[in-house]
Amino acid sequence: MDAESAVNQEADETDPVIEAYKKHVDRSLIRENLKRTPQERLERLMELQRFAEELRRAGKEKKGPGR
Amino acid sequence: MTDFKGLLKALTDGNVEFIVVGGAAATAHGSSRLTLDLDVVYRRSRENIARVFSALKDHDPYPRGAPTGLPFRWGEKTVASGLNFTLTTDLGDLDLLGEIPGGGTYEALVRDAVVLDLFGMKVQIVGLERLIQVKRASGRPKDFEVIAELEAIREEQETET
Repeated sequence: MDAESAVNQEADETDPVIEAYKKHVDRSLIRENLKRTPQERLERLMELQRFAEELRRAGKEKKGPGR
Repeated sequence: MTDFKGLLKALTDGNVEFIVVGGAAATAHGSSRLTLDLDVVYRRSRENIARVFSALKDHDPYPRGAPTGLPFRWGEKTVASGLNFTLTTDLGDLDLLGEIPGGGTYEALVRDAVVLDLFGMKVQIVGLERLIQVKRASGRPKDFEVIAELEAIREEQETET
């Protein structure tokens, strides 16, 4: 078996660790995302980045300079 | 903030052969996780290395997290003598990768890439199945949640069809 086939076979196997994590995945978010186009998903990512930066800025401002 | 559109435009306008991988690829496939940079695997041919250099030369590429004032010079030789670069640019953070664990080189990834229409450009993105393999191969605990979400996306897509 070549390396790629080995990787493919490994990917096909169910991993109990991943299955455990999967129970906590919010599928409603996924379903909403899948209704959007890939471009809309990237645009939302940029909006989310802007929001995260705004939160960081506000947090820094609250703590004050040098803290 | 990373200007994904701007970075993709710079690479596409420069005719760079590249494939989007990592968090941005996951987003394009339907992930809702926040990612801060654009990861791309670029083809390591001499011509493409020249294109990578030209595409980014006006965007102030600099090693991310490195102290300022290093004698870093963005040039074709820099790209040719390195492989993977984690960069800041005036368009945001860009990981420029010659190869990735579990995915290999551009040539290995291109077979499983999908072409998406993004911001008026045709952009190659690593396929969902391959992205899951790459994340699994990394073996990093921080990727467990990512893999779980990607597999859930695959299941939801299968349910839809």
